[in-house]
Amino acid sequence: MIQISCPFCGKRDHSEFSYGGDGQINYPSLDASQETWHDAVFLRENIYGRQIETWQHLYGCRSWLLVERDTRTHEIFSVKLAHADWQKMMEENR
Amino acid sequence: MTAIRLPRQSSRDNQDETISFFWNNKKLKARKGDSISSALLSNKFQIIGRSFKYHRARGVTSAGVEEAGALVTTGKGAYTEPNVRASTTELSEGLFVYSQNAWPSVRFDIGSILNLFGRFFAAGFYYKTFMGKIFTGKIFRGIPPLEWGRGTGIWMFFEKFIRKAAGLGTASRLADPDSYEHLHTHTDILVIGSGPAGIQSAIQAAQTGKEVLLVEQDYAIGGTYLSWPDKSEFKTQISKLNKQNITILTRTTAFGLYDDTTIGLVEFICPEERAQKPLKPRQRFHICRAESVILATGALERNYAFVNNDLPGIMTVSSARTYLNRYQLLVGSNIVISTNNDSAYEAGLELEQAGATVTILESREQIGELLLQQISGRRINLYLGSAVAKANHGVFSPCVKQIVMARKTSDGWRQSGSLSCDCLLVSAGWSPVIHLASHQGCPIEWNKENACFISSGDDKSIFFAGSAAGIWQFEDCIQSAPQVARKTKKAQKQSSIIGGWHTDIEPLYEICVPAIKGKAFIDPQHDVTASDVRLAHQEGFISVEHLKRYTTLGMATDQGKMGNIIGLALMADALNRPISDVGVTRFRPPYTSISLGALAGAHRQSHFKPIRRTPFHNWSLANNGVMIDAGLWHRPWYYPKQGENLQDAYIREATITRRSLGICDVSSLGKIMIQGPDSTIFLNRIYTNPFAKLAVGKARYGIILREDGMVFDDGTTWRLSENSYLMTTTTNHAAAVMARLEELLQTRWPELRVHVTSITDQWAGCAIAGPNSRNLLSEIVDDPSEISNETLPFMGVKQVLLQTIPCYIARISFSGERAFEVYIPSDYSHAMMQFIWNKAQMFESCLYGLEALGTMRIEKGHVTGAEIDGRVTIEDIGLGKMASQNKDFVGSALRNREMLTSPNRPQLVGIFPKDKHKKFSAGALLNEAGKTKGHPLGWITAVTHSPALGHWIALGFIEGGLTAVEDKHIVLSDELRSIFLDVEIVSPHMYDPEGTRLHG
Repeated sequence: MIQISCPFCGKRDHSEFSYGGDGQINYPSLDASQETWHDAVFLRENIYGRQIETWQHLYGCRSWLLVERDTRTHEIFSVKLAHADWQKMMEENR
Repeated sequence: MTAIRLPRQSSRDNQDETISFFWNNKKLKARKGDSISSALLSNKFQIIGRSFKYHRARGVTSAGVEEAGALVTTGKGAYTEPNVRASTTELSEGLFVYSQNAWPSVRFDIGSILNLFGRFFAAGFYYKTFMGKIFTGKIFRGIPPLEWGRGTGIWMFFEKFIRKAAGLGTASRLADPDSYEHLHTHTDILVIGSGPAGIQSAIQAAQTGKEVLLVEQDYAIGGTYLSWPDKSEFKTQISKLNKQNITILTRTTAFGLYDDTTIGLVEFICPEERAQKPLKPRQRFHICRAESVILATGALERNYAFVNNDLPGIMTVSSARTYLNRYQLLVGSNIVISTNNDSAYEAGLELEQAGATVTILESREQIGELLLQQISGRRINLYLGSAVAKANHGVFSPCVKQIVMARKTSDGWRQSGSLSCDCLLVSAGWSPVIHLASHQGCPIEWNKENACFISSGDDKSIFFAGSAAGIWQFEDCIQSAPQVARKTKKAQKQSSIIGGWHTDIEPLYEICVPAIKGKAFIDPQHDVTASDVRLAHQEGFISVEHLKRYTTLGMATDQGKMGNIIGLALMADALNRPISDVGVTRFRPPYTSISLGALAGAHRQSHFKPIRRTPFHNWSLANNGVMIDAGLWHRPWYYPKQGENLQDAYIREATITRRSLGICDVSSLGKIMIQGPDSTIFLNRIYTNPFAKLAVGKARYGIILREDGMVFDDGTTWRLSENSYLMTTTTNHAAAVMARLEELLQTRWPELRVHVTSITDQWAGCAIAGPNSRNLLSEIVDDPSEISNETLPFMGVKQVLLQTIPCYIARISFSGERAFEVYIPSDYSHAMMQFIWNKAQMFESCLYGLEALGTMRIEKGHVTGAEIDGRVTIEDIGLGKMASQNKDFVGSALRNREMLTSPNRPQLVGIFPKDKHKKFSAGALLNEAGKTKGHPLGWITAVTHSPALGHWIALGFIEGGLTAVEDKHIVLSDELRSIFLDVEIVSPHMYDPEGTRLHG
């Protein structure tokens, strides 16, 4: 029962969120080659330790988040808005 | 053993309020405050139940959660609860208590004959007997348990008898009439256990200003204090406790410790309180979140393995002390205590003082001067270097009557005479309750000096206090209360006070004397014996994980609280390795058994999941609509006239719609507003077909792919103005599409100035279909010229005022007829539907539901979730032309992978039965005639009777599609329903393939 601190809504139970996937994939542009897309969609690191992943605050503000989580302990180190401009605005207005 | 009830000591408690209860339907009296165990003991009932496998008589073995013998069933009828630990359950007025696993009675049980054949029922008996070679008559292959499926016929036959003979209580098959609640509980510090260390920890934590919750699984606060004869210290501590702002929950078990210091608590509501307030829940399930948790969970006293160590009348030393001081019950008059540690002596002295004759068998050769001084001059016999080799029962009673002693010699233990007794108390060491820390993966270490496993928490949020940390002396336990709030944990040097015996404990797990044979139990609740462990070793199941599963050691409802360590010790001995090398299986929640009702809480029956009702729901019900579940939605299924069944109704509805006019609720379709200057670019990227040039006032059917190239969803999108679109999705995928659009906009293309909003609930939608649909609309719009074929052609969209309300009309057809979808603000849906329906009476018209909608879409070959099941490409469903070659879109790269472009892939087709009178069902397989075994050529996804064609038709997929099977003889097989048909594979566009009906 981990809790995630949503930048907008505060600390909430993980049941309000839905897991997205690996947050460190650099998705290629739509016109990239099949091989590039194959690697982006299908190849994943199986990280033992800290990883950045995407979650959506589905039953809250619906923001997509970048969550840095330890896969061994579920400890969460940071939560940011995935939308870089929004994250910047949040930080500036803090 | 015959327990003697003593008068209460303090004057305040002297009222001796009696309550009555029923034991196997016989009415008995007990004292208020009694547990079921103490009530039964005070009524001279020693045999409480019969054991799991051998039907041996069992009595009370403890006064706590480690109870392995006194398991009972409480309640009657739907209130029946099996396998209740009598030793921890408080007696309430009129409680029904029943013995388990015995017939005709617990005193005389036919099943106990199994005990005589016990040597045949060793570990692995069932696997070996029923799944091995004996009954299969075939060659022996593999390890027996892995042969599942071979020889199981005979197992199937015997299983019901075995299940009847083996086992514990029987659950009621009736629905649980009680209610349960879920709570989210938050506190700074949670203290688990209200013994000396727990109370001290709570006081200290509260003094720092922290919010403290103290939970106690027992129905009385106090833990070990309750078992003390002198209550003065306890009273002082309680008054200190009450001065602090501490929330105390009794009858509350912390059953599991989870991530982020989340603790599962189950709170039982006091039966007395429920008797007065029947609407109170039976149990509350707390999801408790704390900054830190202090485990003051105490330690459990162990017994050890000797022959007949399970006889009624044998219990732990500490439990006899609890029965004496808490329940005023002297458990016997001629008591033998067998021990290997100092803790038994205090109990011995108190029992002697209460009037019993006490003999102590001490396994150590020497004990401290202090202990010797204490017992000198008392009626206590002490045998040093002695233990019990065997317990014997009486001729007419299965209770302990005599023990055979063993004496330590240079060649091990040897028989050394016997003693008569009416009660045998055992103490072979203490196991700290480290279960909760183990749930969270805190390290657990074997402490050789104290012969127990110890954990010290995680130093961050999980702390130990008292005997749960392996600390035995009262003063040390008080000292050990962690100063969590002050973060001075490190300075405490708790390890220095671990232990604390005057004379070291001497490990004692089993007494085995030559020439004395019989069953020595290590897990009495599952009837696992010491020889079962040796058998497991002999057969190679030497890891603790295998040992556990092969013998079922520790897998009963007590989870081996007492016996697991003995099992490990015996395995270590057989392997000739230290216990620390053998290790321990990780403890799993729950610590004690909890009811499924508590976990379910209020989420049952109609509250199990939310219901979504469309804005037309009540209107549909008022017009005789029958509803069907579609995901969370309740959608109108069909609208039967007098005497019609489903099939009559949908055939009529589809027929009238194609002939004249039908109206259908389509509100559950997902509706998403897409707004912003970059909306067009956005849509052009996510849809396979071009959206860049869609004119304002036009709609387009589009398909969305997943990134891997498979079809994700379909629907129409309407351009309402330059920068705003209304996207519709399928009912099933509405939420997923919405989340996906948000993901793309927030994580991939943050530069796009687009905002998406779900408006599914804000707009009601109805489809008006059939040749008369435009005539009906002419009656309801102010200016009929707005909806002529020229001003509102196929795929045209228009905002119109209906009765002054702005609504949208789109000329879209799922039925294949001339049709319109009218979108109405939800608030006006009921009145507007009534208005439209009144006007529809001018024509031959009907309401149609999901079934007729399905019929008409199958006739037209339109796909839905049955076909778009996540495994199909856009070509597979015959819509390959919708994939633009002139732009890139989501999924465009990967949809061209080799296996996804193979011409042999199953493709969408229509299916007719050769014999037009035949009926068949979805899920049937398609094969070439004569090749009906193995992998099929295709399958059926949707079936309906087509009123337009006059026979049953279907949609399905077949390898290579229509052209590949044109000259083949295809048969349909439905093995489960025994339907085998010759079928004709046709184009999926089975009705009006040119689309003349919808364009007119």
